[in-house]
Amino acid sequence: MSDELMTAAASAAEPAEGLRAVRSLRALADRLEALHVERARRLGWSWQQVAAALGVSRQAVHKKYGKRFD
Amino acid sequence: MFERFAKDAREAVVHAQDEARTLGADRIGPEHVLLGTLRTPDTVAAQALGRLGVDHAALLTAVRALPAHTIDADALAGIGIDLETVRAQVEASFGPGALDAEIGSAPTRGHLPFDAAGKKLLEVSLREALRCKHRRIDSGHLLLAAVRLDDTAAYRALAAVGVGPAAVREAVTAVWADVPVG
Repeated sequence: MSDELMTAAASAAEPAEGLRAVRSLRALADRLEALHVERARRLGWSWQQVAAALGVSRQAVHKKYGKRFD
Repeated sequence: MFERFAKDAREAVVHAQDEARTLGADRIGPEHVLLGTLRTPDTVAAQALGRLGVDHAALLTAVRALPAHTIDADALAGIGIDLETVRAQVEASFGPGALDAEIGSAPTRGHLPFDAAGKKLLEVSLREALRCKHRRIDSGHLLLAAVRLDDTAAYRALAAVGVGPAAVREAVTAVWADVPVG
């Protein structure tokens, strides 16, 4: 999630509204991540490359997507 | 509109609550209603899908395999993000429906409301009943509505088990021919 989005989420007045926005952003980010990881894998990216681009460990990204996009 | 619902459709809607909760959703969507119609094997929908080789377990597996949908457009609008704009961008590069699926949410207590697509499903089932000149809405109409709404998880789950709109219409019509409806 980008800093801008976090700032925007933080500005919501009502807690419930803000939390729902955060949750939606997370879901949105997860979905975007899955789409991009899938595409990268299809284009021949290694798990190491995907992990480096996402700023997470290779193990983490493989654990999350290994079964789906191997 | 529930007063027009036949017994099996009412029960499907009641079961849809449990289905939604089991799947960790906080709203009732078309896929939950569809699963609800399959809880008992004698509903019109269960018989129709049975003819196509699909039962509750098979559909549940298919629904679980679909990424869930917890992206709340209203909440995002509240922080200045237009989900439709995001959706248009994502679909431009990943294809239609690319955004409609992600990771499941936490289970919820209490009475769950219908989501927008769930409401639409009920509305379309009424239209299906009118179109068929049926007085009552039964689970067959709910199933017909599910295959009309091609942007829903219900539709995608059916597609995942190899069931398309034409096959569903044929099967529902066949079941009604055996068991006439009001």
